[in-house]
Parts: sequence; C-alpha cells; structure tokens
Amino acid sequence: MPGPADDPRLPLSGVRIIDLTVVWAGPYATMHLADWGAEVIRVESLQHFASFTRGTVARPSQALVDAGANTGMGFPQDRAGEHPWNRAAVFNHHARNKRSMTVDLTRPEGQAVFERLVACSDGMIENNLPPHIDELDLGWERLSRINPRFVLLRIPGFGIDGPYRDYRTFGNHMEGIAGHPAIRAYPELGLDYAPTSVPSDAASGVGSALALTLALRQRDRSGKGVYVELATAENYVPFLGEFVLDYSMNGRVWQQMGNDHWWLAPHNAYPCHGTDRWVTIACRDEREWAALCAAMGREELRDDPRFTDMASRHAQRRALDAEIAAWTRPRDAGWVAQRLQAAGVPAGMVLHESELLRDPHMAARGYFQPVAHPEAGTHLQVGRLWRAGETPHPPPRHAPLLGEDNEYVYRELLGYSAEEYRELAAAGHIGTEYEPSVQ
Amino acid sequence: MLPLDDVRIIDLTQDTIGPFCTRVLADYGADVIKIEPPGGDPARLLPPFPRDEPHPERSGTFLALNTGKRSVVLDLAHERGRALALALVRGAHVVVESFAPGARDALGLGYAALRAENPRIVLTSISHFGQDGPYRDWLGTDLTLYGMGGPMIAQGDPSREPLKTAGRAPGYQVGYAAALATAMGVLAAERRGSGEHLDVSAFEVLAHSIDSRLGRILGYQYNGRVVGRTGGGLGVGSGTYPCSDGFALITSGPARLPLTIRMIGREDLLDDPLWATTEARAHPDRIEEFEAYLLPWTLERTKEEVRAACQRFGVLGGPLNTTADLFVDRNFVAREFFQTIDHPETGPLTYAGYAARFHTEPPQPPRRRAPLLGEHTADVLRGELALGRDELEQLQASNVVQLLEVSDAGAR
Repeated sequence: MPGPADDPRLPLSGVRIIDLTVVWAGPYATMHLADWGAEVIRVESLQHFASFTRGTVARPSQALVDAGANTGMGFPQDRAGEHPWNRAAVFNHHARNKRSMTVDLTRPEGQAVFERLVACSDGMIENNLPPHIDELDLGWERLSRINPRFVLLRIPGFGIDGPYRDYRTFGNHMEGIAGHPAIRAYPELGLDYAPTSVPSDAASGVGSALALTLALRQRDRSGKGVYVELATAENYVPFLGEFVLDYSMNGRVWQQMGNDHWWLAPHNAYPCHGTDRWVTIACRDEREWAALCAAMGREELRDDPRFTDMASRHAQRRALDAEIAAWTRPRDAGWVAQRLQAAGVPAGMVLHESELLRDPHMAARGYFQPVAHPEAGTHLQVGRLWRAGETPHPPPRHAPLLGEDNEYVYRELLGYSAEEYRELAAAGHIGTEYEPSVQ
Repeated sequence: MLPLDDVRIIDLTQDTIGPFCTRVLADYGADVIKIEPPGGDPARLLPPFPRDEPHPERSGTFLALNTGKRSVVLDLAHERGRALALALVRGAHVVVESFAPGARDALGLGYAALRAENPRIVLTSISHFGQDGPYRDWLGTDLTLYGMGGPMIAQGDPSREPLKTAGRAPGYQVGYAAALATAMGVLAAERRGSGEHLDVSAFEVLAHSIDSRLGRILGYQYNGRVVGRTGGGLGVGSGTYPCSDGFALITSGPARLPLTIRMIGREDLLDDPLWATTEARAHPDRIEEFEAYLLPWTLERTKEEVRAACQRFGVLGGPLNTTADLFVDRNFVAREFFQTIDHPETGPLTYAGYAARFHTEPPQPPRRRAPLLGEHTADVLRGELALGRDELEQLQASNVVQLLEVSDAGAR
C-alpha cells in the first residue's frame, strides 16, 4: 500500500518515525512530520486505551457523549458508533497521514516486534510519563544499541531528570508552572478565572517537530544517532522572554493582564451585534487612534482630556473600552473589522470555527481541504502549517483506523510470515478493536 | 556540533515574530546575520529596560529575541545597500523576511531576485495573512490575529470578553512555525539541489493550533456543536482553585474524578449512585456540587501541598507560578534551565534557556548575547564579501545617506 504522503519531493520522504505519542502535544509534532512526508507509524495497544488520544474512554456511553464530556471534541452526529476510537474529532484531524499498528509492549513477544521496528526506523517520538518509558525499557540506551543511527526525541512535561520528572501533567498544568495563566487571566478577577486551554501544546508540537527534523539532519551529518529531550515547560517559558528579562532587570512581576497590552490602548475585544460576537481592536500609535476615532464618527474623543496620548489612554483604558464598545455593540463584527482595516486600524473578528470554515480569505487561499474517512465521513481539514512553493501538496490521507496498517507493518516492513502474523493476532497483539475489558 | 552550524541565514526581519524564528534557528547553531536598518530594528526600543530608562542596546525584548545573531547595518532603501544584501545572499542558505507582502518585491528583494543570486536559497516569508488572498494587506497584531485564527472565542469566562494568550505568545507561535518551515525548507533544498519560497501566514498558523482549533474545526462539522467559553472546560472537578498562598490548577473530568475524590478523602461519594459511574459524574449538575467539596480542601492547603497531593494520588494538578516563582521553581533550578548572559550595556541578566536539549558531546554551548547595533558590519562585509578597508571607509563616509553604519564596537 502506498504511503500517506509518499512523494520523494517532500522534505521528510523516506524517513520512518515510530510514534508513541499521546494526547495532544506529541501527536501535533508527528502531524507535521507526516504532513511533510515522513512515514509516521503510531504504535498502539489493544490492551491499553490512552485517554484523551482517541477520545476520553474507549467505549463512551451515549449519556457521556450527550453531556459533551468528551475532549475528543465530539463524534459524527453525536454517535460514538461501533468503533468510537475511529471517530474522535481531534484524533481524526491530527492523525491524518499517519499509520497505525497495534502491539502489546508489556509482553516479551511485543518487545521483540518493537525491536524489529526500531532496527528499520530512523527515529521515535514519545511524550509519556518518564516512569512508563522506564518500565517498558524504551530509553536511549536500549534503542541506540538496537540502532546506532537512531534518533530519539522525548517530550516529557518537566524533564527526563529533575524533581518533577514523575509529575503527571497536561499542557495547562505545565503552563501554570511555566508562568502563563498568571499573566493571561482577567485583570479584575481572581486567578480562578484563568482560562484552561493549552496553547503550549501547539508550541510543544511545533518545537518538537523542529527538534526532530534537526536531529535527523545532525544524524546525517555526523553518521551517529542523536538523543534529544524537549521538556514542554522549558519550551514554553521562552514565550515569556520579555517578562523573564523584566524580572531579571527590574524585579517586576506582571499580574494578570487579560487582553491588556503593556502600554498600548485601546487593546481589547469588544462586543458586537448578535450572540457572543466580538471584534478585537488595537491602536499602536496616534495615527491609528485618529483613524479609529474618525471611523467611529467620534473625532471629539481625540480632544477628550482622558485620551490625549497613549499613556493617558492606557491609564483610562476601561473608560476608553466603554466608549468603543458603545460603537461596536449594535454593529456586525465583520463590518467593524472591514471598516477599521480599510481605515488602517488593526482589527479582526473573533471567529468561531463555523465562521473560520467559510472565511473568504481562507477559501481564496484554499486552506481547508476535504478528507474522506471511512468511519467518520468527508469533512474539511486545515492545510499544512505553511505553503512551500516547490513542494507538492498532495491531499491528506484519512487518520488511520486502529490497527489499520498492521498488515503493512508486520508483513511488509518487519517480514513476519503469514503464520507468525496469525499467531501474533491470536495472542492479542494484532487487531482493530480494543479488548472488551479496556475502559 | 550543532544541527545548523553549517547554515547561514540572512535575517531581514524586525520587531518580534521574525526575530523569534531566527533566534530559535541561532539556538540550533545557524549563523544568523541580522540586517538592521540605520537606527536599528525598532524592537530595540521596546520595553522592558533596566530602571525603565529606554536605550537601544538595553531592550529586554530585543535582547531576548536576538541572542546568538550578528548585526549588520545596511540601508536597503539605498541601491548599494541592496546590492550588498544580495551579495550576502550568494553565500547564504536561507533568507527570512517579514516585510508587508509586496514590499519585499518593491525593494528588489523578491524571490526571483534572490534566486537569481543563489538558486539554492530558501526564502521564508512571514506575514499576518499570507502572500495572497483578500486579507493580504490587513494589519495584524498578536491580539487581532489570535482572535481570528486562534481559539480565542472559547477562552475565558462566558459572561466576559474572550481572552488572548499571555504577552506575545500568539506571535511567537508563528515565529516558531516559521523556524520549522525553514528547517524543513533547508532539508528539501538539500535534497532537490534548489531552494523554494515558503509562505508562513500567522492567521493560518494560529488556525492550525492543536489547542482546540483542530478538534473543534472537525467537531463542529461532525455534530454542529458551537463551543463557547465554558469556564472550567474539562468538566467536573476541573479549574483553577484558590489555595492558602496562591492558586492551583486541577483537571479531573468524569472519568478521572475518582482519583480526585480519593485525594480529598471523600471515598464515601463513590458509593452514591450520583457519583458512582462515569456517566453519573458527567451530569452537568455535578460540576457545581463538586466545587463545594473541592474548594474547602484546596483553601486549607498551600499550592505546594496541593501539588504534592495531586502527584501522590495521580491527579492532574499543580500551582500557578508567577514570573518570580519561575526563578525559584525547584525543577527549573535543578535542571539549570535559566541562563545568565553578560552584556556590555546591561551587565549579566537571566534569560529563559534552550527549549530542547541535544544530548550530544560536546554539549550545547550557552547562548551568545544579542549584538550591539552594527557590531558585525565590518567583520561581515570584510570577511564574507572581501571588501577592502578603503571600500568600507567609503561606505561608512556615505553615512549621510545612511548607507551603512559601523558602530564604535564594530570598528574596534
């Protein structure tokens, strides 16, 4: 079977990566590798359901689905179906172009399969709790012995060593330790209103894809295997680089800022006509402020003693926000953004996914592409992270069904005979459904 | 050996997004030649400054974003300045730029012009909305771009305005994506024997985020659900909770809630049909009810105690650190994450460390400080372009047109 993105003109074609990633950050890294031509083989297990990867639980009840308590981001028609693990939205997006094999690494014959896979692969990525990798003996020492040219990227939350190595974490907890939510929350409210999303998972995914790509280049140049570690907390502190320097220079600790800028005003999201419609507006200088006042038909605000210069506008930013909100509230967000952009003021709609999917700019650039999935249907997916002029952009292959590529991996790649394949299937390594006892 | 120590990058970017990209590439060993206009990258005037006194060599934002680079001052508005930039492109592998789309071509530094100098060159163009499309010329900031591309509509409290992420995090994500694009572009160019033009759109990078956008883009098409701001987000027993000395973040959800129930010593709940099954715990009414059990428990404890308990019981949870907490955090300290970097204008300061650790011999060297304005102009033009002393002095003398600036430091 041809590979998902098997085109020699892609930068990572011919590279085979073992994917032991779970949840979001790790899978987002391998999404980029697979998008750009690597053969990414997800190693999964019929005996273990990694929560938050192919959904929250293996077989959610309809009540659980109806409660929306599934951070797999939902199922087609709100039905989990016969194989819920093949129908989870977030998985079906990030796992496109990847392959899936199954093997139970907790048993010796599973480990033997894995050794064969390591021997014929270029590298591996994993983002599991470090003790789990220790238990399975999947660390650098063993893998580099099996394959001296192996590239290993480990993505722990806090480090392969250090006092927090065993700490269980999601992106949001790691961000808490890396200092982000304490700045991100609403200025007038307590930190208990800090949002719990995980922009750091996106940063970890991109940073890890970069580290692995460069490790491959290092391997090619040196002829030797490379072991890289990217602790997600350490990856996200540099996103606060100027806050770190301000503390180092001045001992200053910034409290919650919400949408406030250090010194610019206006700089916020403003309500618009309709339910939960918003527009963001930022003025960076006097020219943009004057243009905003003109666009609002409120030229007199320029002479208002509260708003005479950037410093006074910043000091009076809540009063300023109220003036602007009075103008935006009865108006359409798209209309406000268009009008302000035409006047030379940075502004934009706060887009819901439904609007993003039909955004005319995205459409003109052909950003979304349909992907047909055998158990979920045909839906639009984002394009690749950037466009490359001389590189083909083949349509993505659907996210692999659980164990969909077992035959390819075991028979074609690892050279198991038909009989051995049957035996491994009978022993529960190879299959397409989680064992009934798996939650 | 570092992965990019044989790669030279001509960096035409300014401000914050592009310099984050090339800083990351410099971290991996690339020789980044930062072309600054006379007067310097405007980011040199961005706070913070020591004692809040502005100075072009002391901007914390600039210093953090430009470690490991060399600074060459060339006036690209001047024909001779452009010619020198193009001459540098001949010996380079990559050009990174973040001009407004169209401005690059107007300057005579379009992809065709670069390629004519060096067919192997990779050009990474970073822009707010991409090199074409109806919003191509729209203005963007971290705030407006995150609102359009990122999952901002779902961030924050349902009764309040949507929230962006901290500081310049949205833009840095775009810079990071541009670094990945550039690295892959280098690999592709090496295989193909020719370069290409990479188009990195901030709007698209932020819309591509695994942080809910990817899941919800597909999820919305799957079931039409419109997900707004839901506070806790991950369901029962999830959110930010006050402690005796700050705040802690705990994530439970219906499936993992029994761990949290045991942590707070309320195993008895698990015998109650309201709490006994995952389905029962997924009922929306359980969220408020569980807050009443969890809040008193966290309030009686320090954030460190909450962290320890969470780890003992396998609950996802930990403290919310302030910037000051970062510097004393046991894990960052033990792993020697932060780097102290000396600088002639600021003295030693503490910087965030490397994102990734390459466990190779010799180990990654510490970062080199950000360059002074024009510090390497003479070195680079003489060393790389073999300009003679006379030529250099001529160029320097025509400073009246701000063709070239050689700072005192560079002339030494």
